[in-house]
Order: sequence, then C-alpha cells, then structure tokens
Amino acid sequence: MMTRCDCARAETLAGAIALDEADETQRDMYRAHLATCGRCRSNLGGERAIERVMATVAGARDAERWEPELRAASMRPRARYPVWRWIAAVAAVAVLAVGVRAMERHPAAATVAQRGTATEQAVARAVAALNTQTAPRREHEAESLTFASPGSGSMALALHLDGRAQGRCVVTKSSGNRVLDETVCRAALRTLSTRH
Amino acid sequence: MRRPAVVKPMEDVYPGAAPAAIARARAESLVLEYQVKLTRYLRRMVGDAEVALDLSQDVFLSAFRMLQADPRRELTAGWLYRAATNAAISFLRRKKVLRMLPLDRDVDRGAWRVDERSAASVDLQGALAQLPPQQSAALLLTSYVGYSSAEAAELLGTTSDAIRQRVCRAMRVLRTVMSEES
Ligand SMILES: [Zn+2]
Repeated sequence: MMTRCDCARAETLAGAIALDEADETQRDMYRAHLATCGRCRSNLGGERAIERVMATVAGARDAERWEPELRAASMRPRARYPVWRWIAAVAAVAVLAVGVRAMERHPAAATVAQRGTATEQAVARAVAALNTQTAPRREHEAESLTFASPGSGSMALALHLDGRAQGRCVVTKSSGNRVLDETVCRAALRTLSTRH
Repeated sequence: MRRPAVVKPMEDVYPGAAPAAIARARAESLVLEYQVKLTRYLRRMVGDAEVALDLSQDVFLSAFRMLQADPRRELTAGWLYRAATNAAISFLRRKKVLRMLPLDRDVDRGAWRVDERSAASVDLQGALAQLPPQQSAALLLTSYVGYSSAEAAELLGTTSDAIRQRVCRAMRVLRTVMSEES
C-alpha cells in the first residue's frame, strides 16, 4: 500500500514526464511507483498515455489560426474600454515619430513619401522603418519589418540575409496588393544588403 | 519545445535617442512581437476572445506606462506573461465565473468561433474550463507557451515541483475530457 507522500511524488514525476523534463532516473522512479500503485496507474497513466494527452496541448497550439491585432481591434465599433482608442493613438504616434526621425536622417525618403506614388511611398516607408532598426543583426536570421502601407493597411515582411548579403524576402502580412508587396519587399531587401 | 524569446535591454539599440522616443519604440516593438502570442494565451485562460483582447490591451498599457517612467527598464517576455496571468486570474475571480465556456463542450459561441475548431483545441478548452486558474496557467505557460517548469515557477512565484504537480493535475482533467469523447 502506497502512502500519500509517494503518490504526491508520483504526481510531480508525471508532471516532469508531461513536460519532457524527466531524466531516466526519474522515469524509473515513476515506473516503479506505477508498478505498485493501482490508483496512480489508472489516474495518471503510463508514460505513453501522458505523452498522448499532452500532444493535445501542442496540437491545439499548432492548429491555432487566430491572429489578434490590438490596433485593428481598437477599430471595433463597440469597445469595452475607451482605453482602446487611447493606445491606438499612442501606437500611431509611436509609428509616426519613428518614421519622421528616420526621414530626417534620410531626406530622399522623405521627399518620395511626400510626393511619390503609392508604391514609392510604401517603399520609402519600408526603407525608413528599416533605417530605424539599429539592433545588431545576426547572420542567417530573418529580420521582420512591419509598417503601415499607404491606403492599404499594414504590411509585414520577413527579410532573410545570408553572410554574403544574398537574401530573400517573404511577405508575412499582405497589404492586399501583391505587386506592391513584392516591390516593397525587394526594395527593403536591397536596402538591407547594401548596409550589410 | 518552443521558448519565448527574451526582450533584450535596449541600451545599445537606440543610441542617443530621447528617453520618450525609446519608451515609445520599445512599447511598440513589444506590442508587435507579443500581441498575438500573449492574446492567444489570455484567450485560452479566460475562454473568451473579447475579454482576452481587453486584458491584453491592459497588459501592454501597463508596460507602456512603466517604460514611460523608466525607458531603460528591462522588460522581459516573462514580465508580460506574469502580468497577463495575474490579469486573467483576477478577471476570473472578479467575475466569479469559473470559465466562460459551457461545460457541454459546445464551443459554438461567437467569441470562440474566430478560431479553428480542431478536436485538440476543443478538448484543451474543455479541460481548461474545469480547471482552477492556477492549474490552467501552469499547463499553458509550459506546454502551450513553451516555458520550462523552472521558468514558469519563477513567473508564478512558486517552485518547479509545484508547477509539475499542477501540470499533472491539469493533465488528469484533460485526459478525462478526451476519454469522455471516445
Ligand atoms: Zn500512487
């Protein structure tokens, strides 16, 4: 007959197994407990049973498609808290401030953004956004770039650059205009590689 | 197992920028990087998309205020998840609802319908609806978000063994939910 203490220990071991954190010694201890305790055997189950149950959590996570966007949500007609609108304004100001600072350093981009076509403006914004990103880069890692695209919502790019400044770009969130997306993506990648 | 990245302190990232600009830029990048992950976690915790969006908004707002007060303050992903967990738990207590999802596993509510309705997702949500919030948080922070039991323990102010035990108890409920179906 097992004591309560042993069964409590078995729960901890089962949790470690569930999280794939148990070493062989711990797994042996768990097996030994199950061999002598019918209650834990039926309540907690063996290692395979634990893994099967836990696969549900990973499965749910990996199947998830919901892409909540706080700024988009702030446009909901019925906001629960007025604060939604406030942070949307803060975020807009933040984007604007970053963009303007970048354009001060890059007058050409500013000129294009003021006078250019929608495509030129989008490219200028992407380049301006890139120029504000001064975080150190690591080779072979993607750089992600999210910015507002004029008249067509926001666009997100993932720019991958390898050691020889060869790269590829992926549109991770489309502005809804494929030609524009591709043009902006290529332009941003060119900028990135010349600065590499 | 996927691990949430740690937000690096930004001392070197924005050299020479004004403190207010650093605060804004850091708050902005936190939102861009974590809004999806954090709001998904919150929706699992509270079982309602609208509430999750509101709570998530509150968390980012307090992060923004902290950065306004001290633009160079270190703000980790862990801080966001701790704040989100506390927000979810106090919401659940405040509203005196265990979970907003009905226990009969009919998840055809407007708030939940935005999601895929995979069997795994429905099972998980069915189990979460029955769990005490601390067990939900332990299960989600580890196997859903990707923290180790030691990291989750630090977030929730408890021990690694306590997290493992909560995960085990959550797993038992999940197992019951799954076997009810088959
Ligand atoms: Zn036992």
